[in-house]
Amino acid sequence: MSTPTTSFASTGRSPSAKSFIDPQTLMSIKNLELRARVVVEGFWHGLHRSPYHGFSVEFSEYRQYSPGDDPRYLDWRLYARTDRYFIKKFEDETNLRCHLLVDQSRSMAYGSRGYTKAQYANTLAATLAYFLYLQGDAVGLLTFDEKIRDYLPARHRPGHLRHLMLKLEEPAAGSATDLAAPLQRIIRTVKKRALLVLVSDLLSPIGNLEKNLTALAACGHEVLLFHTLDPAEIEFSFDKPIMFHDVESGRQLFIDPATARKDYLNKLNAHNAAVQSACEGLGVRYLRLGTDRPLELALFDFLRERMQRGKRVKRRA
Amino acid sequence: MSFLAPLFLLGALAIGLPVVFHLIRRSSREQVQFSSLMFLQPSPPRVTKRSRLEHLLLLLLRCIVICLLALGFARPFFQKPMLANSLPETGRKVILLIDTSASMRREGVWAAAVDKAGEVLRKLSPADQVAVFTFDSQVRQLVSFDQWSAMNAGERATLAAGRVAQSSPSWAGTQLGTALITAAEAFTEADKQSRNLAPQRIVLITDLQEGSRLDGLQGYDWPRGMDVQIERIPARRPTNAGLQWVAETDEAAKATTNAGTRIRVSNSANAQREQFQLHWEGVAAALPLDIYVPPGQSRIIGAPKLPNNTVGEQLVLTGDDDTFDNSVYLLRPKAEQISVLFAGNEVETDPAQPLFYLKRAFQQTRQQQVEIVARPGTTDFAPAELAKARLLIATDRLPENQFAAAQAFVGGGGTLLFAAKTAAAAETIGRLAGVDGLSGDEITATNYAMLSLIEFGHPLFAPFSDPRYNDFTKIHFWKYRRLDTTRLPDARVLARFDSGDPALVEIPKGKGRLLVLTSGWQPADSQLALSSKFVPLLYSILDLAGGIHAQVTQFQVGQTVDLTPFGVTPSGSSASTVVKPDGSKVGLAAGETKFSQTDQPGIYTVASTQPPGRFAVNLDPAESRTAPLPIDQLERLGVPLKPREVEWAKQAEHKQQLHAAELENQQKLWRWLTLAAVVVLLVETWLAGWLTRRVGIKAGVAT
Repeated sequence: MSTPTTSFASTGRSPSAKSFIDPQTLMSIKNLELRARVVVEGFWHGLHRSPYHGFSVEFSEYRQYSPGDDPRYLDWRLYARTDRYFIKKFEDETNLRCHLLVDQSRSMAYGSRGYTKAQYANTLAATLAYFLYLQGDAVGLLTFDEKIRDYLPARHRPGHLRHLMLKLEEPAAGSATDLAAPLQRIIRTVKKRALLVLVSDLLSPIGNLEKNLTALAACGHEVLLFHTLDPAEIEFSFDKPIMFHDVESGRQLFIDPATARKDYLNKLNAHNAAVQSACEGLGVRYLRLGTDRPLELALFDFLRERMQRGKRVKRRA
Repeated sequence: MSFLAPLFLLGALAIGLPVVFHLIRRSSREQVQFSSLMFLQPSPPRVTKRSRLEHLLLLLLRCIVICLLALGFARPFFQKPMLANSLPETGRKVILLIDTSASMRREGVWAAAVDKAGEVLRKLSPADQVAVFTFDSQVRQLVSFDQWSAMNAGERATLAAGRVAQSSPSWAGTQLGTALITAAEAFTEADKQSRNLAPQRIVLITDLQEGSRLDGLQGYDWPRGMDVQIERIPARRPTNAGLQWVAETDEAAKATTNAGTRIRVSNSANAQREQFQLHWEGVAAALPLDIYVPPGQSRIIGAPKLPNNTVGEQLVLTGDDDTFDNSVYLLRPKAEQISVLFAGNEVETDPAQPLFYLKRAFQQTRQQQVEIVARPGTTDFAPAELAKARLLIATDRLPENQFAAAQAFVGGGGTLLFAAKTAAAAETIGRLAGVDGLSGDEITATNYAMLSLIEFGHPLFAPFSDPRYNDFTKIHFWKYRRLDTTRLPDARVLARFDSGDPALVEIPKGKGRLLVLTSGWQPADSQLALSSKFVPLLYSILDLAGGIHAQVTQFQVGQTVDLTPFGVTPSGSSASTVVKPDGSKVGLAAGETKFSQTDQPGIYTVASTQPPGRFAVNLDPAESRTAPLPIDQLERLGVPLKPREVEWAKQAEHKQQLHAAELENQQKLWRWLTLAAVVVLLVETWLAGWLTRRVGIKAGVAT
């Protein structure tokens, strides 16, 4: 994708966008869990009109017994009804294990629309967690800045979601962004194949990103990257010369946007294009997300990516 | 208003700084947070337009502060007139010293020197006392202080310049050191008479060539208050090549032509030319010689070959810039005919006889041709032979006729060397010395006898006094004759044998002297004839006898020539005449043997002698070195070169500075200026603070 992605809301390309909740309105809800619930329920509400009816990440099946299978997993009820042996596959085997990797560095604390990128990213992570939890999938969380801040392993148990929401509500306090440490940690701790959802503004040199994503892909994980950017970052919509203060490093620069905009946009687009091409090369799904984009659409994007992957997997099979 | 340190006023240029700072507007107060500056570059500050200068009052105050500080550092003061500095009003004493050496003959140099002298004379004040000297190898006075004072004040300069114009450069060398010292002493002499301590100056008008001789300047104690002003006359063509006669080689002794003449050709360091030609003037048949001398070097070359039976006397160099020094005059000295008499019955072909060795000891040389006239005892010496000879040698007892001749010879001033080969010779020796019945004993040494106790202080042995040559112990004597020298009046023993017996005795007799060697040099008596000391000893005796006259035929301009070798005698009764190269004749008084008017190069002829004596006079070779002499060389020798006007001006300037510093120290205006700057700075600080607060309040209201 060579052209910078702006939001659906700002461009108005989708006619259905109007029916979603404006992120600014959504962010006025203080409770994160409530926000997630609003988004997910709104999503469910319109789901039966969706062409993707019946899709679920949850899947279970019966398989005819064959010698060598563990007799503990025989479904005796079915045997009583049909007089045949069927092996009941455990939900645990088929359930999705999703790890949400949320960037909480200080650069995520920037926002030009009344809410920060971190709030948006946390809401997105909470929405996904809530959605998956409702489906019975295990959800884990890893928050990081220049180092790992919190880690919750993927679970599906009562109270886990609440715990996860609390972790997400903690304010961003880190300074720099370092993707290497969280990705190394995930590689070390998550042995089973899992879905990894990375939410970050990726405002750091991409040198190591490609290397770590390669390691993740090699472990068999499915990786989905939400590249979160503020509209002000995408368009650089400043008008008068002013002293810019870097929230991460504290560095100050006097910048005249009239002369600096073109150069800035060139460099940003080149950076984005480099990240995207690195992801495409590794089979990592890359979604650029302006913070003015409704979260329902983000969830929709998420599910669409999953479905397309499912199709790809089926085709491969 | 004046300033003690006006350079600090340049600091006022810093006034541009606040103006520029006011023009630069950078809204650095406002800040905006941004996620990352990794894609941003700093923008240069934008300068506002001139019309947008803000805070003019503030700017004005800041400029005033800088101006006040610059003014304060420049240490201003109000000038007050200083008491007039009293420079000496009395006239100076000036000696105009004009170079008339041969190098001034170069093209245009003398005319420029005359012009310069006129200019210097015109610039002098009427109170000045002036003398005009010219110098080459000698110093001549053109105008003395007294003559100057006697002249009419209005005409002094013109008259003196006229005398300078009448003189002309000579052919002599440049004795610059002597001239400067003579001039300095002329001041001292004049001061003794007048007791006037006026400032003294020597104005030296010269081409200041490299060949100037500075002898005597080293260590000369220059009188105080004297200085030397040098007016250098530059030559149009400063490069030159010169000729110098070096020496005659030994081959020339046998040749009749000038084939062995060697000439040094030197070229100046900055010369453009390297190729020259050397030819014999007046000998058309001789081919010119092409020579190559690189700049700054010299070459010694043989003169061009002359055809047989021709004689060249003038060698001419062509191809260089200046012609005044391009000739060298050469005269070959004729070998002197010296006659030595020998009395005795000896055969000159018998190696056992002394005469055999005597003949071979006196070989013909370039300068002397010694002729041994041997007469056996039966033959008399002719009176002419006796008159011509200066040395008579005898070895044995003389017959009566020869004894009388020998006695007359010694009495007339001749020297008789008696090398006694028998004891019987003692009687003759005694009679010659005026003692009758002197006898001698024949002594045969046990092994051998050696010479010892030699009087090296005596002119005879003086040439051997060097430790390298004074070893006579290798000459062994087998036999000698013992003489009782106590009986001989005034006898002086010059050398003794190791036994203590006299070996060589000098007995003065009348005008002449008798030298007695108590042994012979033939092999039967000793090894003397075979030793390396024999020939020098004989020449030493010949020299002592007055037989050798060094005949010099090459002189330099300005040198005094001794005419004695040419036949002019002090006792001569007739007046002699010398013809100069230009044909003019100089008469010398009777008995006058010195000729000092060698004022031009060329061949001089002493016309009054028979045959006429000739000698060549050449230019001082140093005159050919016409490259300019560095003035600092004179300074190194202690010549006080700096003109005193400069020193006076420096002193006056120094006094002016001291006066200014004193005035400034009294007035101390800088304190007030600094105080004013501090006050303005306080006002500026208050104003700036007030403006900032006002802007802050406005901004607060706006938000």
